Amino acid sequence: MKIIVNLDVMMARRKISAGELAERIGITPANLSVLKTGKAKAIRFSTLMALCHELRCQPGDILEYSEDGEEKA
Amino acid sequence: MDWNKDKSVRLTTVFTILLAAVLLAADVLGFIWMPWFISASAIDSSHLPALAATIYTGSIFAWICLYTMFRLLRSISGGEVFTEQNTRFLRVISWCCAGACIVFLVSVLYYPPFLIISAAAGFMMMIVRVVKNIIQQAIGMKSELDLTV
Repeated sequence: MKIIVNLDVMMARRKISAGELAERIGITPANLSVLKTGKAKAIRFSTLMALCHELRCQPGDILEYSEDGEEKA
Repeated sequence: MDWNKDKSVRLTTVFTILLAAVLLAADVLGFIWMPWFISASAIDSSHLPALAATIYTGSIFAWICLYTMFRLLRSISGGEVFTEQNTRFLRVISWCCAGACIVFLVSVLYYPPFLIISAAAGFMMMIVRVVKNIIQQAIGMKSELDLTV
Protein backbone atom coordinates (compact mmCIF):
# COMPACT_ATOMS: atom_id res chain seq x y z
CA MET A 1 0.00 0.00 0.00
CA LYS A 2 1.28 3.44 -0.82
CA ILE A 3 0.28 6.92 -1.84
CA ILE A 4 1.59 7.88 -5.27
CA VAL A 5 2.27 11.56 -5.87
CA ASN A 6 1.42 12.50 -9.47
CA LEU A 7 2.67 16.03 -9.12
CA ASP A 8 5.07 15.83 -12.07
CA VAL A 9 2.18 14.70 -14.32
CA MET A 10 0.06 17.69 -13.32
CA MET A 11 3.04 20.03 -13.67
CA ALA A 12 3.65 18.74 -17.20
CA ARG A 13 -0.01 19.23 -18.08
CA ARG A 14 0.03 22.82 -16.83
CA LYS A 15 3.51 23.40 -18.30
CA ILE A 16 4.94 24.80 -15.09
CA SER A 17 8.49 24.32 -13.81
CA ALA A 18 9.34 23.10 -10.32
CA GLY A 19 11.03 26.36 -9.40
CA GLU A 20 8.07 28.44 -10.50
CA LEU A 21 5.54 26.21 -8.74
CA ALA A 22 7.61 26.21 -5.53
CA GLU A 23 7.74 30.01 -5.61
CA ARG A 24 4.00 30.33 -6.28
CA ILE A 25 2.93 28.03 -3.45
CA GLY A 26 5.55 29.37 -1.05
CA ILE A 27 7.70 26.30 -0.37
CA THR A 28 11.33 25.67 -1.15
CA PRO A 29 12.30 23.80 -4.35
CA ALA A 30 13.94 21.21 -2.10
CA ASN A 31 10.64 20.56 -0.32
CA LEU A 32 8.81 20.35 -3.63
CA SER A 33 11.38 17.81 -4.78
CA VAL A 34 10.74 15.78 -1.59
CA LEU A 35 7.05 15.80 -2.45
CA LYS A 36 7.59 14.96 -6.13
CA THR A 37 9.89 12.03 -5.44
CA GLY A 38 7.48 10.49 -2.92
CA LYS A 39 9.86 10.90 0.01
CA ALA A 40 7.42 13.09 1.95
CA LYS A 41 5.82 11.53 5.01
CA ALA A 42 2.98 14.06 5.19
CA ILE A 43 1.50 17.00 3.33
CA ARG A 44 -0.13 20.01 4.98
CA PHE A 45 -3.64 20.97 3.92
CA SER A 46 -2.31 24.47 3.23
CA THR A 47 0.31 23.08 0.79
CA LEU A 48 -2.25 20.81 -0.88
CA MET A 49 -4.67 23.72 -1.17
CA ALA A 50 -1.99 25.95 -2.72
CA LEU A 51 -1.00 23.17 -5.16
CA CYS A 52 -4.60 22.58 -6.21
CA HIS A 53 -5.09 26.33 -6.62
CA GLU A 54 -1.99 26.84 -8.76
CA LEU A 55 -2.43 23.66 -10.83
CA ARG A 56 -6.20 24.14 -11.10
CA CYS A 57 -6.92 20.57 -10.05
CA GLN A 58 -8.38 18.41 -7.28
CA PRO A 59 -6.33 16.63 -4.55
CA GLY A 60 -7.15 13.34 -6.26
CA ASP A 61 -5.34 14.52 -9.38
CA ILE A 62 -2.14 14.86 -7.36
CA LEU A 63 -2.45 11.99 -4.90
CA GLU A 64 -3.33 8.42 -5.75
CA TYR A 65 -3.77 5.42 -3.46
CA SER A 66 -2.22 2.15 -4.62
CA GLU A 67 -2.53 -1.33 -3.08
CA ASP A 68 0.78 -2.46 -4.62
CA GLY A 69 4.30 -1.78 -3.37
CA GLU A 70 5.64 -0.72 -0.02
CA GLU A 71 4.37 2.22 1.95
CA LYS A 72 6.48 5.26 1.12
CA ALA A 73 4.47 8.39 1.72
CA MET B 1 22.25 39.31 33.50
CA ASP B 2 21.75 38.51 29.83
CA TRP B 3 21.32 34.76 30.10
CA ASN B 4 20.77 32.47 27.10
CA LYS B 5 21.04 28.80 26.15
CA ASP B 6 24.55 29.22 24.67
CA LYS B 7 25.85 30.56 27.97
CA SER B 8 24.11 27.71 29.79
CA VAL B 9 25.88 25.13 27.59
CA ARG B 10 29.18 26.97 28.12
CA LEU B 11 28.64 26.93 31.90
CA THR B 12 27.94 23.18 31.81
CA THR B 13 31.13 22.70 29.76
CA VAL B 14 33.09 24.67 32.37
CA PHE B 15 31.62 22.48 35.14
CA THR B 16 32.57 19.37 33.16
CA ILE B 17 36.16 20.59 32.82
CA LEU B 18 36.28 21.51 36.54
CA LEU B 19 34.98 18.06 37.43
CA ALA B 20 37.65 16.51 35.18
CA ALA B 21 40.29 18.57 37.03
CA VAL B 22 38.98 17.37 40.41
CA LEU B 23 38.94 13.78 39.15
CA LEU B 24 42.51 14.10 37.87
CA ALA B 25 43.62 15.47 41.24
CA ALA B 26 41.80 12.64 43.04
CA ASP B 27 43.50 10.08 40.79
CA VAL B 28 46.99 11.57 41.07
CA LEU B 29 46.79 12.29 44.80
CA GLY B 30 45.11 8.99 45.62
CA PHE B 31 48.18 7.79 47.52
CA ILE B 32 47.70 10.72 49.94
CA TRP B 33 43.95 10.84 50.52
CA MET B 34 43.18 7.12 50.43
CA PRO B 35 45.24 6.26 53.59
CA TRP B 36 43.69 9.32 55.24
CA PHE B 37 40.21 8.14 54.19
CA ILE B 38 40.96 4.66 55.59
CA SER B 39 41.87 6.08 58.99
CA ALA B 40 39.08 8.70 59.03
CA SER B 41 36.32 6.27 58.13
CA ALA B 42 37.56 3.50 60.42
CA ILE B 43 37.98 0.96 57.63
CA ASP B 44 40.42 -1.86 58.29
CA SER B 45 43.79 -0.78 56.78
CA SER B 46 44.01 -4.13 54.98
CA HIS B 47 41.24 -2.84 52.72
CA LEU B 48 43.44 -0.14 51.18
CA PRO B 49 44.03 -2.16 47.95
CA ALA B 50 40.30 -2.80 47.70
CA LEU B 51 39.58 0.91 48.17
CA ALA B 52 42.16 1.78 45.51
CA ALA B 53 40.57 -0.76 43.16
CA THR B 54 37.12 0.72 43.77
CA ILE B 55 38.27 4.30 43.25
CA TYR B 56 40.37 3.67 40.15
CA THR B 57 37.79 1.38 38.52
CA GLY B 58 35.13 3.98 39.25
CA SER B 59 37.51 6.59 37.89
CA ILE B 60 37.67 4.81 34.51
CA PHE B 61 33.88 5.05 34.22
CA ALA B 62 34.00 8.68 35.35
CA TRP B 63 36.60 9.58 32.69
CA ILE B 64 34.61 7.91 29.92
CA CYS B 65 31.48 9.64 31.21
CA LEU B 66 33.14 13.09 31.35
CA TYR B 67 34.70 12.74 27.89
CA THR B 68 31.34 11.64 26.45
CA MET B 69 29.58 14.52 28.23
CA PHE B 70 32.13 16.92 26.76
CA ARG B 71 31.48 15.60 23.25
CA LEU B 72 27.72 15.73 23.85
CA LEU B 73 27.97 19.36 24.96
CA ARG B 74 30.05 20.23 21.89
CA SER B 75 27.43 18.60 19.71
CA ILE B 76 24.62 20.53 21.45
CA SER B 77 26.48 23.85 21.20
CA GLY B 78 26.89 23.14 17.46
CA GLY B 79 23.09 23.08 17.16
CA GLU B 80 22.84 19.30 16.77
CA VAL B 81 20.49 18.13 19.50
CA PHE B 82 18.21 15.42 18.14
CA THR B 83 20.77 13.15 16.47
CA GLU B 84 21.54 9.44 16.65
CA GLN B 85 25.08 10.30 17.76
CA ASN B 86 23.74 12.12 20.84
CA THR B 87 21.65 9.12 21.82
CA ARG B 88 24.81 7.00 21.50
CA PHE B 89 26.59 9.45 23.84
CA LEU B 90 23.73 9.20 26.35
CA ARG B 91 23.80 5.41 26.09
CA VAL B 92 27.54 5.42 26.90
CA ILE B 93 26.93 7.74 29.88
CA SER B 94 24.13 5.52 31.18
CA TRP B 95 26.31 2.40 30.91
CA CYS B 96 29.12 4.22 32.74
CA CYS B 97 26.66 5.02 35.53
CA ALA B 98 25.62 1.36 35.56
CA GLY B 99 29.28 0.32 35.76
CA ALA B 100 29.94 2.70 38.66
CA CYS B 101 26.77 1.43 40.35
CA ILE B 102 28.03 -2.17 40.20
CA VAL B 103 31.58 -1.27 41.32
CA PHE B 104 30.34 0.60 44.39
CA LEU B 105 27.72 -2.05 45.11
CA VAL B 106 30.47 -4.68 45.30
CA SER B 107 32.51 -2.29 47.47
CA VAL B 108 29.70 -2.23 50.03
CA LEU B 109 31.21 -5.54 51.22
CA TYR B 110 34.06 -3.68 52.94
CA TYR B 111 32.54 -0.19 53.31
CA PRO B 112 28.70 -0.10 53.60
CA PRO B 113 28.33 3.71 53.05
CA PHE B 114 29.36 3.11 49.41
CA LEU B 115 25.75 1.93 49.01
CA ILE B 116 24.77 5.62 48.80
CA ILE B 117 27.11 6.23 45.86
CA SER B 118 25.93 3.01 44.22
CA ALA B 119 22.28 4.05 44.60
CA ALA B 120 23.05 7.54 43.27
CA ALA B 121 24.82 6.08 40.23
CA GLY B 122 21.94 3.67 39.61
CA PHE B 123 19.41 6.48 39.89
CA MET B 124 21.49 8.63 37.52
CA MET B 125 21.61 5.74 35.04
CA MET B 126 17.81 5.60 35.04
CA ILE B 127 17.48 9.37 34.51
CA VAL B 128 19.97 9.35 31.62
CA ARG B 129 18.19 6.39 30.02
CA VAL B 130 14.84 8.18 30.22
CA VAL B 131 16.41 11.30 28.61
CA LYS B 132 17.93 9.05 25.92
CA ASN B 133 14.52 7.48 25.23
CA ILE B 134 12.94 10.93 24.98
CA ILE B 135 15.60 12.08 22.49
CA GLN B 136 15.17 8.88 20.44
CA GLN B 137 11.44 9.58 20.28
CA ALA B 138 12.12 13.20 19.34
CA ILE B 139 14.46 12.11 16.50
CA GLY B 140 11.59 10.12 14.96
CA MET B 141 9.22 13.07 15.32
CA LYS B 142 11.79 15.47 13.86
CA SER B 143 12.43 13.28 10.81
CA GLU B 144 8.67 13.10 10.23
CA LEU B 145 8.39 16.87 10.59
CA ASP B 146 11.34 17.38 8.22
CA LEU B 147 9.52 15.31 5.61
CA THR B 148 6.22 17.15 6.02
CA VAL B 149 5.74 19.51 3.10
